[in-house]
Amino acid sequence: MNIWELIIQQPVINILIVMSHYLANNFGLAIIALTVIVNLALLPLTMSQIRSSKKMQDLQPKLVDLQKKYAKDKQKLAQEQMKLYKESGVRPAGCALTMIIQMPVWIALYQAIMLALAVAPEGLLNLSKYLYPWQVVYSVLPLNPDFLIMNLAQPNLILALLVGVTMWLQQKMSMTPQADPRQAQQANMMLWMMPILFAYMALNFTSGLSLYWVTSSVFRIILQYRVTGWGGLRKQAPTPASESDKKYLKFEAAQEKKSSKDAGADIVDADSISSRKGTRIFKTDKYKFQPDKDRERHRKK
Amino acid sequence: MKSKGKWYCGRVVFLLALVIAVALVGVGCVSGLTPIGWSGGIVSNSILYVGSNEGRLVAVNLADESLKTSDPLKLASQPGLFGCAPSAGGGCGAGISRVAIYGTPVVAGDLVYIAGYNGKIYAYDKNDISQPRWVYPPEDYLRDDKKDIVPIVGGIVAAQGRLYFGGSDGKVYALDTNTHKELWKFPTDDKIWSTPAIDGDTLYVGSFDKKLYALNAADGKKKWEFVTEGAIISTPLVYNNTIYFGSFDRNLYAVNACDGKLKWKFMGKNWFWAEPVVFNDTIYAGCLDGNVYVLKADSGQEVKIFDLKSPVSSQPVIVDSSVIFATRKGVIYSIATGSQDIKQVADLKADVDGPLTAYEGIVYIHTQQLELQRINAANGTLYSPVSLKS
Repeated sequence: MNIWELIIQQPVINILIVMSHYLANNFGLAIIALTVIVNLALLPLTMSQIRSSKKMQDLQPKLVDLQKKYAKDKQKLAQEQMKLYKESGVRPAGCALTMIIQMPVWIALYQAIMLALAVAPEGLLNLSKYLYPWQVVYSVLPLNPDFLIMNLAQPNLILALLVGVTMWLQQKMSMTPQADPRQAQQANMMLWMMPILFAYMALNFTSGLSLYWVTSSVFRIILQYRVTGWGGLRKQAPTPASESDKKYLKFEAAQEKKSSKDAGADIVDADSISSRKGTRIFKTDKYKFQPDKDRERHRKK
Repeated sequence: MKSKGKWYCGRVVFLLALVIAVALVGVGCVSGLTPIGWSGGIVSNSILYVGSNEGRLVAVNLADESLKTSDPLKLASQPGLFGCAPSAGGGCGAGISRVAIYGTPVVAGDLVYIAGYNGKIYAYDKNDISQPRWVYPPEDYLRDDKKDIVPIVGGIVAAQGRLYFGGSDGKVYALDTNTHKELWKFPTDDKIWSTPAIDGDTLYVGSFDKKLYALNAADGKKKWEFVTEGAIISTPLVYNNTIYFGSFDRNLYAVNACDGKLKWKFMGKNWFWAEPVVFNDTIYAGCLDGNVYVLKADSGQEVKIFDLKSPVSSQPVIVDSSVIFATRKGVIYSIATGSQDIKQVADLKADVDGPLTAYEGIVYIHTQQLELQRINAANGTLYSPVSLKS
């Protein structure tokens, strides 16, 4: 056995088999339980990433300021942005890091599912070399692939759709409002591309892996909700007509949020203000673009 | 601003590419997910019939080494993304383009029978194997329950004008070789990958439901069942009114053929995957723990253990008074039954999972590299392999 098999694949396979035994020989429950355990193990990292995302939202006004200030010096702008990120403890690549760390688990899980469910005779034969010498491991093999109405060894359309939907929800909740339309467009592309890609993969892989993805997304949705509320899922404000208006709106919303009791994203505050006053905030003069007055008010605060 | 946009765009593309790459690598690196097959061979009139890893029946004339191949068995459905189609009896990794054949062909009368992972039984004329004479169920057959295909992993037993085999749907089937019609079927509670064994009027077959069944070969009625603590995949060996078989609980069982009562059991360190052989009241059982266990057939008492240092999944053969074993890594050993000495005969440096075949002192080994290796069992001479590529 190579290092990968010894450290990742073999433990995952045996843990899944033992869990399946103690969860009424239900492999689906074993996958869900393993997913929760993996996510709990990654909790510090995930929380750090969620908080980082939250900080990113809070930093938007400062980023806008920087963009204004160094509009003509892109190098300086990049330096200042990185400095700001560093000072605030924000890791822009945090999301990617969490995903990359989880990838070996996906692969190990996929391999474990394919081998333990005896999808191919060669798989079952190869499985024998991964088994720990525990009686319980030997007696429950091969595992029962049935879970609810699904066969976990085969792709499942419903689960593939759930993969896409839950991943979209989770990404949407954690989305950072972007001041730059190009960045917003990229973020929007990401919001759709990843769920579509994963749903497509789920359609072609065993549904056991899809079950892992769905459970994982639901877990992260719960975490995200606890930290940031519904975040990007809240009704978004209409896009202001001009670029400067939009920047101003983001700036104001973030400032308002600091004094509010809510812990949600910038947009959350905008909505709450709107509901409290019972008016559409964008029609009031207060939110019109008034650079001089605004700077003055900001200084006073 | 522009550079940041590019950075974001790059990040999106990088992440997508990373996910796809990891998925491809992860799937591609997994061994054992693609059904390939490990058919053994059978010799009739100096012609060896074997199911190749290309999904064809191959007839090798042992006299002149000439080769005849059938058309490839037809796939049940097409592969999906990355070559994955588990529902079609396929897997991932290499893209499924052929039907795996696991069971060793059987010859009865003028026909050669072979079972495919596509859930079909094919009957070929011994002298012309290009096209099957008949197929069960027919190619256009739609299953009553409209479920996915039922892969056949075990082999076929031919006796008294009938074919017996088990399917992954957990049923044992009996077919009439003349009418090609189903005579009876017997349901078990899980998959059947074991090749049945017949002795007189009784058919013995193991199932993933952890039971060994003794069925009346005439009508499929159950005579008795024997429950173990693990799934049964090995083909039962019938000898001296006793059934010997391995179970996934790591035991080799000896069960009375008349009433299904346990005579003895012997525990190895892994599964007894392959069917054991018996010689002079001594059982020779290869195990996936890399050992060959030599046991007394009547009591299960251990005579000797040979460590082959690699799992044994292929059924051994007896040539003269020697038992020939192959490890999964392709190392061939000969155990002298008299002195109980072992010697390494050859190292094929090829993967071997299927049963060995012996004919006129030569051992034929179908390797996973699409070759038929030939070894002289007496002196260990390794002849040039016969390629089974079409």
